[in-house]
Amino acid sequence: MEAAVEVRLGQGGGGAGDLAGKYLTFSLGAEDYGLGILKVREIIGVMEITAVPHTPSYIKGVINLRGRVIPVLDLRLKFAMPPEEYDERTCIIVVEVQGKGGSVQVGMVVDSVSEVLNISADEIEPPPALGASRETSNILGMAKVKGEVKILLDIDQVVGDGVLKRFEGQ
Amino acid sequence: MTETGKAVSELLDNMAMKILMVEPGDLSVVGDLLDLGEQLVTSTDAANTPVLQRMGTAFRAALEKIIMAELPDSAENYEQLGRCIAQMQEVVRKEGVADDSALASFVGGLGAVGYPVAVGELAGEGDNPAPAKAAPSPSPSPALAAAPVAAPSLGATPLPDFLQDKDLLSGFIDEAFEHLESIEVNVLELEQTPGDLEIINNIFRPFHTIKGVSGFLNLKTINKLAHATENLLDDVRNGKRAMDSDVIDIVLSVGDCLKEMVQNIKEVLERGPECYQEADISAFVARIKQLQEGEGGAPIEVKVKPVVGAAPAVPAAPAAPVAVEEVAVPAFRPAARPAVAAAAAEAEEEEVGQRGATADKGGGQRKRLGSSIKVDVEKLDALVNAVGELVIMQSLVRQNPLVSRLADPKLAKDFSQLSRITSELQRTAMAMRMVPIRQTFDKMIRLVRDLSKKTGKKADLIMEGAETEIDRNMVDSIYDPLVHMMRNSVDHGIQTPEERSKVGKSPTGAVHLRAYQKGGNMVIEIEDDGEGLNSQKIKQKAVSRGIIQPGDSLSDHELNNLIFMPGFSTAEKITDVSGRGVGMDVVKKAVEKLRGKVEVQSQPGKGCLFVIRLPLTLAIIDGIIVRVGSERYIIPTIAIQESMKPDRKKYNTVHNRGETLLVRGELIPIIRLYQVFGVEGTTYTDPCDAIVVVVENEGRKRALMVDELLGKEEVVIKNLGGMQDVPGVAGGTILGDGRVGLILDLAGVISSSAE
Repeated sequence: MEAAVEVRLGQGGGGAGDLAGKYLTFSLGAEDYGLGILKVREIIGVMEITAVPHTPSYIKGVINLRGRVIPVLDLRLKFAMPPEEYDERTCIIVVEVQGKGGSVQVGMVVDSVSEVLNISADEIEPPPALGASRETSNILGMAKVKGEVKILLDIDQVVGDGVLKRFEGQ
Repeated sequence: MTETGKAVSELLDNMAMKILMVEPGDLSVVGDLLDLGEQLVTSTDAANTPVLQRMGTAFRAALEKIIMAELPDSAENYEQLGRCIAQMQEVVRKEGVADDSALASFVGGLGAVGYPVAVGELAGEGDNPAPAKAAPSPSPSPALAAAPVAAPSLGATPLPDFLQDKDLLSGFIDEAFEHLESIEVNVLELEQTPGDLEIINNIFRPFHTIKGVSGFLNLKTINKLAHATENLLDDVRNGKRAMDSDVIDIVLSVGDCLKEMVQNIKEVLERGPECYQEADISAFVARIKQLQEGEGGAPIEVKVKPVVGAAPAVPAAPAAPVAVEEVAVPAFRPAARPAVAAAAAEAEEEEVGQRGATADKGGGQRKRLGSSIKVDVEKLDALVNAVGELVIMQSLVRQNPLVSRLADPKLAKDFSQLSRITSELQRTAMAMRMVPIRQTFDKMIRLVRDLSKKTGKKADLIMEGAETEIDRNMVDSIYDPLVHMMRNSVDHGIQTPEERSKVGKSPTGAVHLRAYQKGGNMVIEIEDDGEGLNSQKIKQKAVSRGIIQPGDSLSDHELNNLIFMPGFSTAEKITDVSGRGVGMDVVKKAVEKLRGKVEVQSQPGKGCLFVIRLPLTLAIIDGIIVRVGSERYIIPTIAIQESMKPDRKKYNTVHNRGETLLVRGELIPIIRLYQVFGVEGTTYTDPCDAIVVVVENEGRKRALMVDELLGKEEVVIKNLGGMQDVPGVAGGTILGDGRVGLILDLAGVISSSAE
């Protein structure tokens, strides 16, 4: 709990001002995303993933992370983007979020990892209104850095809604 | 069955288990039961199972009335409620459809309790009965929260002032529980060998420690009660008073009361000071004083006795301002030491000094021979994990083609040394999770004692193998089923002394409780020398319940094991102790949840033997690894009956959809694992080419179709990191090549294949 609160203070919360901080950026297709660095545990290459039945298609399965079994979700599929073959640039970003029974680690497959950026408050804008049909609740804000737009993800939301809930009738 | 359906049936199983545990006056269990009832109402789906929800609401309301003392808190009522639970289970089994007879029986049960409900109302004919029944729920809840522990004085209770040092306090709680348990065990031992000074000392000492530490921590009520009891015991030690059954009874009930108080403090620590309840100990203190004064043995206690017995349980008694002035409570040493342990040690040291060597030798000391430390379970799990990974990495390094090509004798020697060390490490890590089953067994002594008093039967409990070790995590889960089986043995198994004499047995029955390890399993046996099971009666009952057909020819053994079927109870007369319409199926389910098996063997007239087989640890599962396409799954070995390549002649289809296989005269449905799990690219799509594994779960047999059997292995179970309840998957494990394999949950596989 405490860890989560701290991170919130650093880069979560309501106003865009609270969001300033360091972000790990990565790409999915043509889009660039940012992820609060304190949530990131490590970045690993793609390894063999064991499929888990009765789960949504964006959950690729589980991997062995040094003796720990962790779920892996494909962010492309989670965001309903067309799937892409995994190549040598494909990475799994392991993030740590708070689940019901303590912290959980979850892997996320992304096209490629770019860099760690320091994003200041005045570079961040609130999430755009894309109309009712587009879900933007998992976006913390939009950052414009050196003329490029990075979408800052609320990873607790993405994971909580994608992995930690009960899968019924899948 | 749907997810909710499964959750509901689990809740009902829990309730069935609880109702068996209820003793009149023991409102804390009723409180648990109410909790479960509450969950039942919220988790039943008003849309799909309206009847069940209404039944649950009515059930809960009836329970609330009992707790509020508006309805009698009597054994008969719990029997009726047990029957109501059985009916609700029946409704769940029928997927939420309630037939008239079930409803009538449910309504009859509640009516007998004193909470009349109309059948039509439950069936939903009256429409919208919910608000009327929901009404009682808000008001009782505060009272309920206060009910389970003794004598709440609610708002009047001043907030406890002992919360200054929570670390010390939580240390005290653990310690106190241990002490109280050792007191109970010793008291019961003393009953067998009255006058044994050493045992009396073993009882005295923990009271003394509890008194000392509770005083230091400012737990005044506990301190007062422990002190009074200690005084009484001191008289016994000094020969001023004999250790008779009066003293034993009071010491036992004081122990119970202290346990509740300590439990309450634990709740305060966990949930905040508003849970605190001041217990009313005046009855105990008065009774102790009376015992002390009546040294001559004048039996004036008769009147007071029931009050004492009831005091820890009956919360209705107003919290009279503690009337203990006359019992001199000398200001105990202001223990200025900083640590509880120090205070305790001091107390004991002084003890030894004061009382001299004769009184204090042996006994309590033997436990302190091997010193131990308490370790956080999480740390232990982390260690076990790391060791497991080490073993896998080691074999990966060893199998590396480059390394294995090196024909260096030194390397080979070092490797074998390394693997010896790692396997030693693994064994030790695993052993750290194990505790002797003694703790659980010891609680049975008290149970049998109380049971034989209550039923008027005489029974000796003979325990063997109490040192057998069991996974720490299993200890709690095995307790409830064991209690149920012990009750069953004493209540139904052992006959009354008169009947026993008539058939030439000694009037005192014997119940053996054994534990031992056998072939990677922990075995617990409960054997009584009573009546045995009546196979014919079981058969009649099974036929009348439609479990078997009249023409079926079953061996006695098979018949006897029908008692584990749901809703099976052959007890003719329902007694206070067992036979509340919920039966051994609850035991079977609880044991299967621990991935174990339970069986009964019976010799008519000679007795019954229940055998529970459990895995040694919950962390490791013995499984067969099977391949389906490119996926590998682990099937728990304990569920597997056989595997084979099916004969085409034995293969049948039903309506061209369902498939069955004839195995030893039994038609077993085939489950194609690749279909259930959506695996593509399997080697075989014809069951007669593939391999089928015949498994059994909760009495249902299925033939699982797989591509290949890869081998048998003991694997470490891991959860799937935050993913909740994937149907058909019990967990994951790391296989020898470092990849994750999934462990099958057969109940889930079977139910998801049925959808």
